[in-house]
Amino acid sequence: MKDDLSIRKIQELFYELKVGDVMMKDVITVSSNMQMMELRAILRDNRISGTPVVDDGRLVGIISIEDFINWLAGGQQENRIAGKMNREVKTLYEDEPLVQAISIIEKFGYGRIPVINRRQKSLTGVITKGDIIEGLLKKMEVDYQEEEIHRYRASHFFEDIIADKTTLIFQYFMKGCDAMRNHDVDAVQNGGRVASRIRKTLRRLGIHPTVIRRTCIAIYEAEMNIILYAGAGEITVSIHKDEVNVKVKDSGPGIENIEEAMSPGFSTAPDWVRELGFGAGMGLINIRNCAQTFSIASEKGQGTVLNFGIPIGAA
Amino acid sequence: MKIKELIEKLKLKVRCGGSQLDREIARGYASDLMSDVMAHSREGDIWITLQVHLNIVAVACMTGIAAIVLINNREPEKETLEKAEAEGVPLLVSELPAFELIGRLYSLGIPGISEDAE
Amino acid sequence: MKIDEIARVLKAEILTQIPVGETEVDLVCASDLMSDVLSFSKSRAVLVTSLTNIQTVRTAEMTEISVVCFVNGKKPGDDAVKLAEKNSIFLLLTGLSMYGACGRLFDAGLGDCYER
Repeated sequence: MKDDLSIRKIQELFYELKVGDVMMKDVITVSSNMQMMELRAILRDNRISGTPVVDDGRLVGIISIEDFINWLAGGQQENRIAGKMNREVKTLYEDEPLVQAISIIEKFGYGRIPVINRRQKSLTGVITKGDIIEGLLKKMEVDYQEEEIHRYRASHFFEDIIADKTTLIFQYFMKGCDAMRNHDVDAVQNGGRVASRIRKTLRRLGIHPTVIRRTCIAIYEAEMNIILYAGAGEITVSIHKDEVNVKVKDSGPGIENIEEAMSPGFSTAPDWVRELGFGAGMGLINIRNCAQTFSIASEKGQGTVLNFGIPIGAA
Repeated sequence: MKIKELIEKLKLKVRCGGSQLDREIARGYASDLMSDVMAHSREGDIWITLQVHLNIVAVACMTGIAAIVLINNREPEKETLEKAEAEGVPLLVSELPAFELIGRLYSLGIPGISEDAE
Repeated sequence: MKIDEIARVLKAEILTQIPVGETEVDLVCASDLMSDVLSFSKSRAVLVTSLTNIQTVRTAEMTEISVVCFVNGKKPGDDAVKLAEKNSIFLLLTGLSMYGACGRLFDAGLGDCYER
């Protein structure tokens, strides 16, 4: 499980880290007017196997030790770098994720890729496989320490507070959009953001994964209900020592007949919502199944209040 | 394979359309989205779904589906049942979940639609 | 079963650019309704669905489903792929139907993830 998590973490870093974060910034460059004989000394003195060719701040090509050897073998015709360099250069932008660099290196087999600034188009660095590995390792070390601190702080919350009873409360406010009435497909598609944020928070608090899963599935359903049916709503999560309690309050039209709304398959959702995978009349039941305690209060025109609890010791 | 043979082999419960069970099943199709079924399913398919609302009968009639199987012991809504009876569409219920039911049908030799092309 | 094996069985293309590594799944959840997936799915499951919007990826995130296979050759949007990559969820795309895909996975020995 732990290994699995660290693999996931590395995968995330491939996206999080940008080329500019790990590239080498002090780049030795040569100009296209330079003689091939001079190139040899530069490569040797700096212990590099290739270098970008830059004229007036602009990248015009790349030349490697292989080109130099070919030049020697070919009888040393054409003495300037301009005639021997590779002009078809694959480049990366500073703001591209590492995964892009890795895929180019793998695809073309290049050892080094020049990096340019997206706006000025000027050369700002070079990235190699070594830079990527080094950057990942550094970031993992820093991240690991930071996350440990977050975890430590969060998971010791209850022990560090001196009180008879401690409760941690966090709230999320949703604008809601009455998606169903407004036929707002985008809003329905974008649901789940609150549940996703709560999931990250609960993880930091060191809550057991099974409890997190049950809590977040229930919140996701509740969040979709707010988006679909209500103008606005708020989700309040309270962490007690032995229970996660969730209160979901909306200013929607209210539920006329709660018993009917709680029966499997009952739904007032139109077909377009069903085609998006929701509104099948399973939401409330699903919330109840995830929770240990569940209550719903609603009145027509007054909105709905859901209250449910998931025991922390239940995992 | 005929619908009634499948009913026997997979212990399906017949909710309506009992007079149509001699029909031959050509292929299997599984989906819970009406537009998807309309787009892909064909005459003689057996359709596996968890949807129980009235629209499934309309979709089955339009596409010439031979029978509908509801999964997870889901029971059709009253209007669905009435409409299916009137249209002569067999409505069957299985206690199995979707994947398991599809797997069994597939093992009995009922192909999917894309298998034809291969 | 490993991701690349699943892709082979389903003749599927892997849409996400994250290393497949050692992730394994042995259960299948076949559904187009996310509420249904939210009620019954387990982690270590592959979700087979024709619903290609971003909600599918969100649902996988919440239920810790690690692989989603889209059927009927229906490709999800770039935003869905990006969100999946961010959450280390693998997305596959097959030309098979849900029925055909499930039939093959059943043949290959995977089980149903439905839990009562």
